[in-house]
Amino acid sequence: MTNTARNVLVAMTIVLAVGALIVGNPRASTSGTVDVTALARDIEHEADHVTALELAQWLRDHKSGLRVLDVRSDSEFADFHIPGAEHVALSRLASLKPAGGETIVLYSEGGAHAAQGWVLLRALGFREVYFLRGGLLDWMDDIENPVRAANRTADSAWAHQAELSRYFGGVPRVGAVPGLPSASVGAETAPAATSAVARAKRRGC
Amino acid sequence: MIAPWWETGALSPPGVLVAGLFVGIAFGACLERAGLGSAKKLIGQFTLKDMAVFKVMFTAIVTAMLGVFWLSRVGVLDLDKVYLPETFVLPQLAGGVIFGVGFALAGLCPGTSCVAAATGRGDGLAVVLGMLAGVLATGLALPTFQEFFVSTAKGGFTLSQAFGVTDGAVVFAIVALALVGFAVTSRIERWASRTST
Amino acid sequence: MTNPHGSDQPRPYADPYLAGVALGLVLLAAFVLTGRGLGASGAFATVASTVVNAASSTTAQGNPFFADHRDAGGVWSDWLVIELAGLCIGAFLSARFANRVRLEVERGAHTTVRGRLGAAAAGGAVMGVGAVLARGCTSGQALTGGALLSVGSWIFIAGAFASAYAVARMRRRAWS
Repeated sequence: MTNTARNVLVAMTIVLAVGALIVGNPRASTSGTVDVTALARDIEHEADHVTALELAQWLRDHKSGLRVLDVRSDSEFADFHIPGAEHVALSRLASLKPAGGETIVLYSEGGAHAAQGWVLLRALGFREVYFLRGGLLDWMDDIENPVRAANRTADSAWAHQAELSRYFGGVPRVGAVPGLPSASVGAETAPAATSAVARAKRRGC
Repeated sequence: MIAPWWETGALSPPGVLVAGLFVGIAFGACLERAGLGSAKKLIGQFTLKDMAVFKVMFTAIVTAMLGVFWLSRVGVLDLDKVYLPETFVLPQLAGGVIFGVGFALAGLCPGTSCVAAATGRGDGLAVVLGMLAGVLATGLALPTFQEFFVSTAKGGFTLSQAFGVTDGAVVFAIVALALVGFAVTSRIERWASRTST
Repeated sequence: MTNPHGSDQPRPYADPYLAGVALGLVLLAAFVLTGRGLGASGAFATVASTVVNAASSTTAQGNPFFADHRDAGGVWSDWLVIELAGLCIGAFLSARFANRVRLEVERGAHTTVRGRLGAAAAGGAVMGVGAVLARGCTSGQALTGGALLSVGSWIFIAGAFASAYAVARMRRRAWS
């Protein structure tokens, strides 16, 4: 090997080695810190999640700074997502940075992944972050396809729920006495909503 | 992370074997080109006249080590999916010392013995056959020293963990030692070829 | 391509640093493609396990070392065996290209063929013992484990080089 070639090789090696010393950790990782006591308190006081009705109300009120994040896969998001939701896969949550004035609501199929994402974002320093309790399944049940049991009176709470449902294009209806399949009584649900529900219920969390 | 290809599913089961074949071919070619298939070369190492073995080995370690570090750092290689050989402190110390004795006797290691055999060297073939016998005998005798065999196990244990420093610090130290080693061995080579043994 | 050293003369070996870089890149390619490094003695272990299993499968199953290395799909489904086969092919091709293929027994001027073959076989056997204990050899432990900063691998490197130097100095005469 010529002297120049050798010197180049040695120089490159030194640069890479010094760089390694400076960088230290070869794993590109993100770390966060968790105040376990504070988190536990928030969980106990139910300050960690919102219900589907609450989220629907926020969306309808165009709550400022609200960001709804769907942590499922690309294809699941493409199939159906809550109107206005952004898609951020769980593995990419680490790249989010807290910004003032934002309220983040995470949701997943049944809520487990979203709840885990809640812990991750709290560890990264987010303050106003919640997850949708019951996930998309609850959203389907409460908003897209709310069913009032036949033996339950149509009170103002139901009226409010039905109105929210219709705002999102859902079809509120009256169903059978709880315990009996509701398909036997009541109006036909919109085909699009049924298939979305069926798809949502077929997949796991 | 796009690598390791096998772990990320980019390589199928037959694919990984094919990759192994080509890796092996390149491996054998490098060893042969460097002259490590010749027992004389290895003995030259230990008589200090020809430090090629030291140079090849440690250049290779440094190259791969830097490659692994930086490919991981830029997110191409997932280090957690690369198999790290486990550490068994005493067995590997004993094994190393014993291996070194055989290494000096034979003038070839398991890999280079195959290189030698494949290029027509009868002594290479003798080493291969001897190795098979040695591995067989040791394996059969294993139940008698099984306790020692699995003693002082540390699992996957890196120098950085052992010394409580970062991987980058260890990389830097090894590179520094290697560069110093190369400078020193070049001196030694010149000295040894002037003085006759 | 003419060989400046004469068409029948073996070509010179490559510069050791260049060869080392090339070898390091091969090792790196193994990590990137397969998530594991190189090896040699492991293939010997697999072959030995297959032999033992063929002779007496109860012995093979009862022995932790052989049970570990036994491959359900046979010897040719073991990555290390395939890699070692490739090594032989690559070595042959490289030597062929450089006119270095010849049938011979390399030995010192004062050593007989028998003496050399005896030392080679004995050395091989001793390496076999060491490789089983150390879970590898210069390829699997020194190169692979060394590049991955494994403590046991570096212990192996230190032990092997130290004892090899000591023994080689004692055997100087055999190669002069």
